Amino acid sequence: MDAIDKLIKAKIPCPQTGIEIKHTVCAICSPSFNCGVNAYVKDGKMLKLEGMDEHPRNQGHLCTKGLAGREFAYREDRILTPLKRVGERGEGKFVPISWEEAYREIADRLGQIKEKDGADAVAFFGGYNKWYRPWLRRFAHSFGTMNYGTESSTCMTAGWMAWKTAVGQLARPDMEHCDLLLGWAFNPYYSGYLKAQSAEKCRKKGMKIIVVDPMITPTVEKMCDLHLRPYPGTDGALAMCMANILIQKGWIDKDYIDRYVHGFEAYAEYVKQFNESNIEQLTGVPYEQVMEACEMIHQSSSMAINENSAPIPHHKNGFQNYRAIMALSALTGNFDRQGGQLPSKHTFTHQIAGFSTLEDTFADGTEPKNTKPAVGSQKFPLWYHMEREMQVVDLARQILEEDPHPIKAIFAMGMNYRMLPDDNRLREALLKLDFFVDTDLFLTDTAKLADLVLPVCSSYERGELETYPGGYAWLTKPAIDRVGQSKSDAEILCDLAKVMKLGDEMLEAGYEENIRFILQDLDITMEQLKESDVPIHVPNARAIVPGEKLEQGLDTPTGKFELYSELIASHPEWGLDALPTYCEPLDEEDPTIYPYRLCSGGRLPNALHSRLHKVSWTRSLRPAPTADISVEDAAQLGLEKGDDMELYTPRGTICVKANPTHRVPKSVIYFYHGYSEADVNMLMSGTHVDPYSGFPAYNSTRCGMRKKV
Amino acid sequence: MKRYVIDLDMSKCVSCGACTVACMDQNDFVVQDGRRPRRNIFDMEQLEDGKVCFHHLSLGCMHCTDAPCIVGCPSACLSKDPETGMTIYDTTNCIGCHSCAMACPYGVPAFGADGKMTKCDGCYLRIQHGMLPACVKACPFGALQLVDLDDPQQAIPAQHSLRQSSLELLKAQV
Repeated sequence: MDAIDKLIKAKIPCPQTGIEIKHTVCAICSPSFNCGVNAYVKDGKMLKLEGMDEHPRNQGHLCTKGLAGREFAYREDRILTPLKRVGERGEGKFVPISWEEAYREIADRLGQIKEKDGADAVAFFGGYNKWYRPWLRRFAHSFGTMNYGTESSTCMTAGWMAWKTAVGQLARPDMEHCDLLLGWAFNPYYSGYLKAQSAEKCRKKGMKIIVVDPMITPTVEKMCDLHLRPYPGTDGALAMCMANILIQKGWIDKDYIDRYVHGFEAYAEYVKQFNESNIEQLTGVPYEQVMEACEMIHQSSSMAINENSAPIPHHKNGFQNYRAIMALSALTGNFDRQGGQLPSKHTFTHQIAGFSTLEDTFADGTEPKNTKPAVGSQKFPLWYHMEREMQVVDLARQILEEDPHPIKAIFAMGMNYRMLPDDNRLREALLKLDFFVDTDLFLTDTAKLADLVLPVCSSYERGELETYPGGYAWLTKPAIDRVGQSKSDAEILCDLAKVMKLGDEMLEAGYEENIRFILQDLDITMEQLKESDVPIHVPNARAIVPGEKLEQGLDTPTGKFELYSELIASHPEWGLDALPTYCEPLDEEDPTIYPYRLCSGGRLPNALHSRLHKVSWTRSLRPAPTADISVEDAAQLGLEKGDDMELYTPRGTICVKANPTHRVPKSVIYFYHGYSEADVNMLMSGTHVDPYSGFPAYNSTRCGMRKKV
Repeated sequence: MKRYVIDLDMSKCVSCGACTVACMDQNDFVVQDGRRPRRNIFDMEQLEDGKVCFHHLSLGCMHCTDAPCIVGCPSACLSKDPETGMTIYDTTNCIGCHSCAMACPYGVPAFGADGKMTKCDGCYLRIQHGMLPACVKACPFGALQLVDLDDPQQAIPAQHSLRQSSLELLKAQV
């Protein structure tokens, strides 16, 4: 091999090889990260990627998932053209068609349904990632319906709702300045390496961490001063026992409570029932450990609490548990204080960046009047009151029962029906539709059920606006050629708005013009953004001034931190409790038949949802769908590492491999979601959900387990 | 000549696999070929004096100073890169005899369907061009480091260093 061939093989970017490094972004996981990527590109094709050194957030790093981005983008099953179904629904037989034909067909079919059954007979669904959601929301509204909903019906939103209930807006931990982190469900080594890096830095400066997690995770191994291991879904009881101890011992901030907290007396009375006599039985955590945690809280001068999108909310009591945990911030005077929980404002597509955009004005600019109730809005009134979009947990039921009105068609972007509990019912519902369109990079299990499938491109192939904490904005540019005829999601929506003649001039103007609108109040121009190859600082960005919001008065009915929610109290028809009341998390099935607690909410470092299960590099790190179970349960059932075993509920059985581990407590099973061949959500009940948020109880389902014979 | 090695600070590793995937991307690894990757992670737990202990490892070629694989290869495929000290190879003459694998205390050399050896070459060309090895660049927690054995400033504390404590740890697993 000559010298040049060696350089090419080693992918050295230099004039001799013709390999260039181009800046782009990873959108495999949550938009709260969107790490910068250095793509090694030759002739429009990516040869390799790594973290972008010049990026203010990730500074050259990437995680296991992001590092698999090249294989993700070039998976062999990327869809290359629009596809039209030719076989039976769900058979997965398609023929390629042109974009013009696809757009025409969508316009005709949706138009016919709108004419015959009304706009509300169509639902618009957004999956992952979230970057195009304001466009899809506006599109649905311009079409004439409030039936717009997303994957966020089961992720993140419940935590934000809990904060809106308590203080009227979002909040985030000020870990950088705290001396105690209450790390509730905190395992950033697997779910957010940037947070782990920050926590390690804070540890060096003396920050202590209490980790609350049933599992012994790497975070527990590496950076934990006290580990509390409640059973999944018993977090609320644990938090209220802590509240009770803090109140009884006088380890609370009475002045702060008098001035800024509403409902203290009622809450103090309520939490008395969580105490030495019952807390171990309710949660599995010995009272002495709860006391120890409270002593650490008492000794700390500031306490921040880890916010999380899924582990706490994914129970039928998840919303209330979230409130109970965050109540600790109010009781100890840590909300809106340096080193505590800081009130924050959403900037753009699920990012809190320290400045405001007109995203909401854009997304809600064409909200229709006099529509029929959105899907799930009657079943989950608090959800709809706060989010004004479908709670998609109720979608399958409405399609199948046509109650309160029929849904005839779905226009979906990146939908994964397996994300919902009892998902076979949703599959059945999708097959019942008159018309189903899905967009995706790949011909997924859901796309195979569609009449039309449109190919979308990855984040490396498109340009998009990103915002980042610290006050940054970045307009990325395509780094590589598009695969096949794929288009970006936003481009598809803007194209379709024209073809369908929705009369929405703004959508018709296209993504770039829309971004111009969304950023118009800021002192940066599109031209500046276009010129820059790296995120730039937005002059309007402003750091939060702790205490400012409390003095102004919070955006709640009382202007205070509401332990007792006046919003909920003012709607007795909702049948919800104004205090963060607690109930047992598990479902009603017979515990003698289903003695285990199935938790599908654990994270693997090499997977996110279903997105990387078919990427061979990441999948090779854990090839078989494998359940982590306790060594005690394994011994009792005669299960050894690698044995085939079955998990079962009244809804069905899945076969997985066993991994007995000391990391998992007795009676709990951790199995991970999104596997086509071992679909854990199929085991779960579609009605075992949180009445406040609608979130499914992914993390606490009664389940049976046996060795496969 | 530098004497570079890729060392692991075991106190920082969490077995997340970022290094493995970065290595696969760098080297166009094809999982379906059935070849063992050049870098592998291990997430181990064992009872030590009645207490559960967890160990995390990322293991690739250790780029030994007196590399037994170089001595063991009858076809002289393996050598030291004069600039970086990494153990590199040219398998044009590889006869697939596995002598290198038998000589290697860590079982690093791997063989695919063509019978020829592959292993970590330390990304020596990247180093020559001022870049880090792909795995070191990727490690989000600074556990993997490019260490010059002749530079005392760069050493990972002995009790954390895989290079210095590897044999004891690996023996305990056998």
